[in-house]
This record gives sequence, structure tokens and C-alpha cells, in this order.
Amino acid sequence: MASKEPDHEHREDEEAPAADDEDTGAQVAPIVKLEEVSVSTGEENEDPILDLKAKLYRFTENQWKERGVGTVKLLKHKETGKVRLVMRQSKTLKICANHLVLSNMTVQEHAGNDKSCLWHAADFADGELKDELFCIRFASVENCKTFMEMFQEVAESQKPKEENKDASAAAGLLEKLSVEEKKTDDKAEEEKPVAAKEEKETKDDTEKADAEKKDGEAASST
Amino acid sequence: MALPNQQTVDYPSFKLVIVGDGGTGKTTFVKRHLTGEFEKKYEPTIGVEVHPLDFFTNCGKIRFYCWDTAGQEKFGGLRDGYYIHGQCAIIMFDVTARLTYKNVPTWHRDLCRVCENIPIVLCGNKVDVKNRQVKAKQVTFHRKKNLQYYEISAKSNYNFEKPFLYLARKLAGDPNLHFVESPALAPPEVHIDLAAQQQHEAELQAAASQPLPDDDDDAFE
Repeated sequence: MASKEPDHEHREDEEAPAADDEDTGAQVAPIVKLEEVSVSTGEENEDPILDLKAKLYRFTENQWKERGVGTVKLLKHKETGKVRLVMRQSKTLKICANHLVLSNMTVQEHAGNDKSCLWHAADFADGELKDELFCIRFASVENCKTFMEMFQEVAESQKPKEENKDASAAAGLLEKLSVEEKKTDDKAEEEKPVAAKEEKETKDDTEKADAEKKDGEAASST
Repeated sequence: MALPNQQTVDYPSFKLVIVGDGGTGKTTFVKRHLTGEFEKKYEPTIGVEVHPLDFFTNCGKIRFYCWDTAGQEKFGGLRDGYYIHGQCAIIMFDVTARLTYKNVPTWHRDLCRVCENIPIVLCGNKVDVKNRQVKAKQVTFHRKKNLQYYEISAKSNYNFEKPFLYLARKLAGDPNLHFVESPALAPPEVHIDLAAQQQHEAELQAAASQPLPDDDDDAFE
């Protein structure tokens, strides 16, 4: 099922006329005057730690539906160490996925396609949080493996230290965390800001508001 | 021009009228841009469906209100009533169905009766299909009537951004306008409780065995 011959169905390049971009349109008067504006990708404070061509799907109405073809990136924030997944559609450069990679996330293989894997996320691509099941397909098994390993590694790295010791116990701890971690995490943060995590948000809200002023503004302005 | 019940926006917006025979792929093309999905099922559009579609350019964000009109005569609704105040247009035909190209002049005539001197793009859709009935060389109408022409495929995304890019350039009178990366806003932090997480994992298990819609296709553009 997964290993089909790469028969070239997409021959549009051969069939397209040579002068594809020749303008044969009539002269029409413009109806707006637009000025060049400064543009921001929103990724300026992050470093890409992964960058691969892929095709993204999401699960809706009990089936996988295409979401976009383009480049998927894992972006690590230069200050907070947080990592998010951002994918843009090629050509239009629109965002089709944008979410943090958190410690409780897992990525798993697609049962019928070894170039694909899936995960769950609260996605912010359209400017509002939406629960999504994503599946991503790569051009090769190797790329898929690279992605899965990196994703899992990032998720692990986002765990507070005490959780790393015993992953299975971590789940049970989650409910208590809101109380207990305030103490432990403060300490952790001094030593290793990278381990900054979402669970301690409750306490650190004000401090974080400063550090992430930019993020916060962006998020709340939508 | 927005419908009365649609929110207006503080950036430039344009009414785009999309016409052409039934089944040529107008709705599929719009849907592809809206959600990314490729809808194989054919459900004729009744009357019109209006969808806002935003693009990010080096000159800021712009919006097309896409008036996706019925191609089938019996579902035509107000017909050219939908064209009023159209600021740009796409005429779609299907390169695998000769008749849909033969009907292009009629769509063009009706459109031009209502909308004078607007930029129009003629789109030959479904160029991914091997057995074309209308070859690229046989498409000549755009030269006679001074339209722009693009061969497109809503299925493979071939040239799928070109009609919008062309229209945006014409409407702004700026041949150098281009799409830019839209700002990737910082996603807010979310708390996931244990119950929700378990539910997500159950959903993942179920979805993992569902086939992907197109996994025979290895081409990424």
C-alpha cells in the first residue's frame, strides 16, 4: 500500500505552455494604491532546528483531509527555549500549522504509510486555538524518522527534570503539579531556563509576561 | 464587496466573481485555498457561495471575497445578479471536457455586460489529468479578448496561486507585488488535563489506521 511506484502523474510542467507568465490581459486601471510595508515572519526570535518538505493532513469528519503542502519547521525560541512547529503552504506562504511542542505530546507512525506520522495538538494556525489531529507525510521514510525523533526529543526536553526520571509516574503527578511544582520549578528555572514549562504558568504569569511580552501581544491581538 | 452579514476588514478587499460551467472545479479550487483539502466529491453549487480569502503580500494583507457561483444552469439563482460590483473575475473551464471551453465566450460575454473593464483570468483546470481534450495550444480565447490565462490543477496545486497573484497585481497596479510569509503568531500556552490527553491518545489510535487520501502521490512541489 505504501510502496507504490513513483509513477509520474504530475506532468503539468511538460504540458504547460512555455510562456506561462506572459501577460495577455487587458490594461485595466488599478483600483487601490498599496504601499510597500515592512513584513515580519514572526519567527525572528527563533532558530530552526528542523526544516523539511512535507504534506500535512488533519482529521476531520472521520477522515484525513489535506491541509497543505510546504515546509514544516521546528523553531526553538532563542530566549525561552520553547519549541514550536510551524508549517507554511508553498507558493502562498500561508500558515497551515502553528503550535508548541509540549512535554505531554507523542508522535506515532501511521499504520498504513511508513513515510507518515501523526500527533495531536492545540493548533493556532488560524489565530485561534483549535484541537487538531495532524498527520504529516514526507518524501522519504528517512525524513519521517528524522522528524519523529526530533519531535520526541523536543517533547522530552520540555519536561521538568523530576518528570524525566519516571515518565509513567509523570502522568499521575500531573493533577498535583499545580500545587507542588511551584516550589520545584522555581528552582529549576534558575538553573535551566530551557526547562521553563507551561504548568508553572499560574505562578509565573507576571514574570513571564515581561519575558514574553512580544509573544503575548501577538497572541492577544487576534 | 462584502455581504451584509460578513464582517468588514480594515485592509483592502475585492469582490472576485468565479464563473464557468458546472463541474469545472470552481468550488474545489476555492476550498483548496480555504482549508487545503481537495474535495473529490461533486456537489453542484446552488446559487452562490461567498468565501473570504486572505493573502499576505509585500504591500500588506489583502482579501478576496470569492463569489463562487453555480455553473449548472438549473441552479443558477440570480445568475448575473451576482456579478454586480464585481472587481475582478475568474472564468474556469475543464481541460478534460471540451464543451466547458466552448462555453467560455458565453460566460465572458455575460460577465462583461455587468462588469466593465475588470481584470479577468481564464483558468484551464485539471491539467493533472493525462487525457486532455483541450490542449494548451488550442486555448486561444484569452488572446482575442485580452484575458490572462493559466493552466491550473486544484488537485496538484499546479499554478494554484497564480490567478490570485495576477489579480492582486492588476488591482493594485503593481507588477512587483508578491506573496510573503504571513506572521506566525506565538501560540498561547495551553493546559491539557489528563482526561483530555487520554481522549486525544484514543483518537490518535483510531486515526492511525485511517488511510491518507492520496498516498500514491509522491510529488511535493
